[in-house]
Amino acid sequence: MEVLARPYDLWEGIYKIWLIITIIIYAVVAIPALYFMIRYRYKPGDREVGDQEHEGHWGLEALWTIIPLIIVLYLATHGFAVFTQMRKPPENALELKVTAFSWGWMFQYPNGKVVVASAIRDTEDKKCRPEECYGVDGVFQQYVYIPAGVPIKVLLTSQDVIHSFYVQPAGVTQDAVPGRTTYTWFQINKPGEYWVFCREYCGQWHSRMFAKLKVVPKEEFERWLRGELADSGHESGKGAVANINAEAQEVVR
Amino acid sequence: MREAVHVEKPWFSASIWEWIFTTDHKKIGIMYGVTSTLFFILAGLMALGMRLELFSPGAQYLKPETYNYFLTVHGTVILLWWAIGVWASFANFLIPLMIGARDVAFPRLNALGYWMFFAASVIALITLFPGNQIMTMWTGYPPLAAKEGVGFAGTTALFVFIWHLTGFASIAGAVNFITTVIRMRQPGIGFFNLNLFIHGVIAANVIQLLGVPSVAGAVTMLFLDTYLNTSFFDPTKGGDPLLYQNLFWFYSHPAVYVMVLPAFGIISEIVSAFARKPIFGYKSMVLAIWAIAVVGFTVWTHHMFVSGIPDWVKILMSYTTLLIAVPTGIKIFNWVATLYRAAIVYRTPMLYALGAILMFLIGGLTGIPLGLPAFDIAVHDSYFVVGHFHYVLGMAVTLSAFGGFFYWWPKVTGRMYSETLGKTSFWLVLIGSNLLYFPQLIIGLMGMPRRYYDYPAIPEWVTLHQIQTYGAFILAFGLFIAIVALIKGALTGEKAGPNPWNSNSLEWRIPSPPPPHNFDRPPKVEENYCPHKYRK
Ligand code: HEM
Ligand SMILES: [Cu+2]
Ligand SMILES: [Cu+2]
Repeated sequence: MEVLARPYDLWEGIYKIWLIITIIIYAVVAIPALYFMIRYRYKPGDREVGDQEHEGHWGLEALWTIIPLIIVLYLATHGFAVFTQMRKPPENALELKVTAFSWGWMFQYPNGKVVVASAIRDTEDKKCRPEECYGVDGVFQQYVYIPAGVPIKVLLTSQDVIHSFYVQPAGVTQDAVPGRTTYTWFQINKPGEYWVFCREYCGQWHSRMFAKLKVVPKEEFERWLRGELADSGHESGKGAVANINAEAQEVVR
Repeated sequence: MREAVHVEKPWFSASIWEWIFTTDHKKIGIMYGVTSTLFFILAGLMALGMRLELFSPGAQYLKPETYNYFLTVHGTVILLWWAIGVWASFANFLIPLMIGARDVAFPRLNALGYWMFFAASVIALITLFPGNQIMTMWTGYPPLAAKEGVGFAGTTALFVFIWHLTGFASIAGAVNFITTVIRMRQPGIGFFNLNLFIHGVIAANVIQLLGVPSVAGAVTMLFLDTYLNTSFFDPTKGGDPLLYQNLFWFYSHPAVYVMVLPAFGIISEIVSAFARKPIFGYKSMVLAIWAIAVVGFTVWTHHMFVSGIPDWVKILMSYTTLLIAVPTGIKIFNWVATLYRAAIVYRTPMLYALGAILMFLIGGLTGIPLGLPAFDIAVHDSYFVVGHFHYVLGMAVTLSAFGGFFYWWPKVTGRMYSETLGKTSFWLVLIGSNLLYFPQLIIGLMGMPRRYYDYPAIPEWVTLHQIQTYGAFILAFGLFIAIVALIKGALTGEKAGPNPWNSNSLEWRIPSPPPPHNFDRPPKVEENYCPHKYRK
């Protein structure tokens, strides 16, 4: 069966391991604790003072040092292995340059095509309605086309402050730091619309700094990239974002 | 010149003048407590404002810059005034009593420390006036924090001064308490029969002494970058924003142990007193506290797992981060073992302490995956993190602080609080907190980023945000009842004896409230003295 997105499949593996271990540990601690709380209550005339001799037990204390030690070493080592896999973008990945700015994203495709997704802000006299605030209006927000089933390597930087690029279905987060280029990669297998959010606080409109990925079959993506689709995003939205575009492109170069 | 420790009257009959010029550790402790609690309430009210805003998607009542201001104050104040500052209150009042001393080693420095803290409080209040808001978040990352103005940082200078002044108070307190405990113990009280609360506080203070200079340097450079055009952190002029993060977290990760180690100490005091039994595994408790304090300095980059640092550093600090779970686990197991063959008396402080243990366990278990880069990559800066640290701070630390208030209230005021009100407050706080914090974990796993003023109208997200807001108000009501219980107790409660909980610790061997000089004669401790024992 094909997974929805990568490297989310790897993340799910480690998530499940953690969840199981966590539930077991919680039970191992909480069940005896609750039992003692009920069983060893103060009872006048019967149980007025606790056992003064019960001050420690070397064997037990060693046990609950060594077993947790083994568990965390296992988790860290397994996490190490998974992380190494997660960080390696596949060879055939499509390279996407992403420049973050306050407040939005500029995506640059290998053939030079540019898509901008900038925050839809409220103004003194107009607040957007909830569905508008996070909608794709073709002016401020354009769809970011992504081919289904193709790994995408993202090269990230920022034009001003630190932002963070989070692709929700793929479960990857990577900061966009001014003056540096960082990378991450993801792959989404099922066509549809998906969220990108900014995850590093970046000022006033941090919460509206999102982008919508439109994942489409590979052929359709290629037609879009060549500008053959009606909704090509190439011409539209020029007015509002032309400046940002120009500035952002400066930085990418 | 007046003697530094000159005290004539018990604390409750002091005049305003005496409060201002006092060097008495008990009065200073009470002043810290009152200041911390008032600022805790301020930060809590701002959080309620944020929760109302987040009740539905779209802009509701607040502007984004107001939300960001509330969040910055909520974070900064609740950490520096409450999770760190409240322990200065407990430490001041209790340490001299627990080691049989008449005051701390440097009473004047102690007073100076409090007044620095007070000055920081004034600055925090100045941010309430229009034009002075800070929107840096409590972390103040540049380049954002170096850009003044409404869209970005607000007034950076005030943020920097808050760190400087609270940092000064912390260092003054640390020097003082460490010296006091080393030099002023009664004969017969040594490293392995000190109160666990003192071990917690002193370990925390050692961290302060070593760590605060790092963050003070970081915010000083931030100040210079903002106002004098230096470029420590400005990449366009050759600086590096990640330098700030390293310096900041070198202190601010260990700082979470400054918040939680004294809380562990208080839990130990309360649990053994109400279990009427010595604490289980005292020695391993002490070693665990100190191990956490030391290893805590080697894990800071787990806050930077997605910032662009080299992968090998992430792996290294992933191991060290997870190692801290071991001594932490030891403490939890020892508390549970203390309940075995105990005679548990269920009074309000005990409920708070047991609640703190079971909730801290959730905080700890949700912290482990954050130490794994492979897991963290999906939840970094999400609500999962917000849920995790609220379980640790909002529950373990806050429940311990309130447990401590109820536990030592009879000692401090000489009067008992109302048990009914106390227990009611506990259950409200526990239920409200879980309704507030558990959905944060779930919505975080679904991807909701933190520090968001607004969010898309995804139906599950809306529901989870609404549950949080209901929980927040239940919690706030519970805390309100707790404060009413305490104040009412202090004013009209029954008179309390010197040792209402049958504890063997020294502070319970003097009258309640303690006389001006604590001990008329130096208290002699019995051979094999152990503070965590049952005493008739
Ligand atoms: C009335 C109870 C509380 C409520 C309703 C509340 C609510 C919140 C909310 C809504 C956020 C912002 C989440 C976001 O937008 O990312 C937050 C952040 C935070 N809270 Fe609380 N909280 C409460 C109590 C506490 C307590 C007791 C502590 C610590 C002792 C605490 C520590 C923090 C910290 C450190 C942050 C992060 C600030 C930041 O992101 O810069 N909170 N809280
Ligand atoms: Cu942002
Ligand atoms: Cu940390």
